[in-house]
Amino acid sequence: MIRIDHFSYTYRNREHPVLRDISLSLPEGSMTLVTGPSGAGKTTLCRAMSGILSHIYTGTSVGSIAIAGRDMMEYDGIEELSHTISMVFDDADAQLIFTTVGEEVMTSLENSGLSKQEAESELVRILDLLEISHLADRAPYTLSGGQKQKAALAATLALGTQFLILDEATSELDEEARTLIFSILRKLAADEGKTIVLVEHMIDEAAAYADTCVLVEDGAITASGTPEEVSRIIRDALPPITKRPRKAGGAPLIEAEGLVHCYGDLRAVDGVDFTLHKGEIIAIVGENGSGKTTLVKHFNGLLKPTEGTLTIAGTPCNGHSISVLSRHTGLVFQNPDTMLFEDTVRKEIAFGMKNIGKDPNSIGEVLEEVGLTGKEETNPRHLSRGERQRLALACVVAMGQEVFVLDEPTTGLDLAESLQIMEILMRLSDEGHGIVMITHNPGLATTFADRVLKMSNGKFIAATEG
Amino acid sequence: MQEIMQYIPGNGIFHRIHPITKLLFTVILVILAVMTSDLLVLGFLLVVVFLAAWAGGLGRGLTEQIPLLLVLGVMLVLFTVLTMPAGEVLFPLIPAAVPIIGGALPVTAGALLFGTILSLRFAVMLFAFQLLVVSTKPAELVTTLRQLKMPIDYTLMFLIALRFIPTLQREGIRISEAQLARGYAPGDGLMGKVRGLKPVILPLILNSLGKADTLGLTIDMRGYRRGKAETGAISVGALDGLVLSAALILAAGVAAIQITGL
Repeated sequence: MIRIDHFSYTYRNREHPVLRDISLSLPEGSMTLVTGPSGAGKTTLCRAMSGILSHIYTGTSVGSIAIAGRDMMEYDGIEELSHTISMVFDDADAQLIFTTVGEEVMTSLENSGLSKQEAESELVRILDLLEISHLADRAPYTLSGGQKQKAALAATLALGTQFLILDEATSELDEEARTLIFSILRKLAADEGKTIVLVEHMIDEAAAYADTCVLVEDGAITASGTPEEVSRIIRDALPPITKRPRKAGGAPLIEAEGLVHCYGDLRAVDGVDFTLHKGEIIAIVGENGSGKTTLVKHFNGLLKPTEGTLTIAGTPCNGHSISVLSRHTGLVFQNPDTMLFEDTVRKEIAFGMKNIGKDPNSIGEVLEEVGLTGKEETNPRHLSRGERQRLALACVVAMGQEVFVLDEPTTGLDLAESLQIMEILMRLSDEGHGIVMITHNPGLATTFADRVLKMSNGKFIAATEG
Repeated sequence: MQEIMQYIPGNGIFHRIHPITKLLFTVILVILAVMTSDLLVLGFLLVVVFLAAWAGGLGRGLTEQIPLLLVLGVMLVLFTVLTMPAGEVLFPLIPAAVPIIGGALPVTAGALLFGTILSLRFAVMLFAFQLLVVSTKPAELVTTLRQLKMPIDYTLMFLIALRFIPTLQREGIRISEAQLARGYAPGDGLMGKVRGLKPVILPLILNSLGKADTLGLTIDMRGYRRGKAETGAISVGALDGLVLSAALILAAGVAAIQITGL
């Protein structure tokens, strides 16, 4: 049982509390979803429940938290708590400490006090459960984002603690893998009576597995109930989501024929024909590692096809460098933090415009377009994930290319924030830009894209009209 | 992409001997490289490391590092020449014919010799260490360090440093791709290149700090610092004896040269 009683928390050197008067009671054998916009305090809530705030951080707190009937402060540090509670953080890469997946999980097992023999059979069982047996000898840097998340989860499950907290630990998994994780967690709660907390944006998908859902907004719990009830509350607060009318194709912007890209022996993209028209939105879906990112990196010249032809806005990609092609195609990478480096939003947007010799006077319009008006002088790193994602989009949109490519633009965002991104994309398409987005969110893909292309093993295996 | 300082599976001599033998071999070579300042001896040590690497089937990994070492070596020599002139002046770095500043920045024999010694030392140490790291599974290395009663925090630090080298390499590439996509072109000339690093280095550092925070929390939450002491006995074979004997004979030889001043 986790019992939180009127808990508030303020980080050191901050004026405003991140959590305000939170009260929650999570019984044994329950699985609870926590959802809400980015920057609302979900991660801080996880850190409160896992004892990190009480025992490692030095902010100020009011109220109390009790784990398994004992007040958090009665525990002798995180060391003692680590026998009872474990947590999976949102950055999977930083949680893989050892040099292979097998060692990672094995170390957890040995630390949980199992004998060598027991640990070895547990290792086989856990890797099998998460369907990552084939990754046992792989080094973390060779894994995809989704595979890293599974490995980090495996190492945490191996600790076998009574309480398990997952902070957006499934954000980079495809639909099938997410379902697998949800059902494993449900089983752990039902069969072993574990208490599970899951920060999750895809609450509709997780609804069938969880008992309750709490909505956190601006540091406070604003709604709680069954996942279905909370989902309804969230949807009622949003304007109705209507399916975008399909647009007739304009002139072609990207034309690829028989495109192949090999990494050594691996045909990551294996004979793809692809056309993007003016004003069109195309969604590319598919499992982790199916070649989606490799494909779109061709569209701005980061990669050159091993075989086949590719033309971007009339410019053949062979013989033209990225500095030419990136004037036609803007690419927004999955994680906004891979590009943000300036100390104000204004400078950040001006960087790309200056690079291509564009007058940075129109920054105000771009900020209005992405809903960041008034944040010109804010440090990008102080924005919430949702705002940073929109800033990353703004940085590229400001350059005004014909084509925009977005790799997973809604990872880590809640429904409202995801819809904000989709609205921006629809406006851009109305202005005649062509849009390609990679997504793991099938709902967004079918609602907002004109065409949804499914990729598997480097090939398009299905195309549906949105 | 070539990964720096990562384990390469194989079955050469170095893969078959015990990590502790390799550790001793590395330590002996590093000590010898620090103790001697004889160019010939240092050159000889470098040859020994290379022969050992080729014998263990790991020569290619080492030769790939040579360009990097050459750059470092030239820079080391240049820095010593500029900062600590000693002995006879060989020639000025700026030719006497240049007006006003002609004849400035003299290159001295002492500085040149010292710079070269530093570079060779560095090369021997790096190669010896690399030989250890690429032929030993990190888990075995950690076990050995624990058996040698190395504190758990230092062992983890060592392991994490090795583990995150390729991750940083990759993250650097990702960031530079993201900036290329924004039309970023590194400037011309040395200053332009240095200024051009900012859009890549800054996110790399900031993201790494975030990772370090999560990493620290993970280590605490998984209870890794409990670190049970390894008690298993160290078993070594004939090959270990051979490698260790060779290293000791080498040490004795170098010591003899130092003492007799040959």
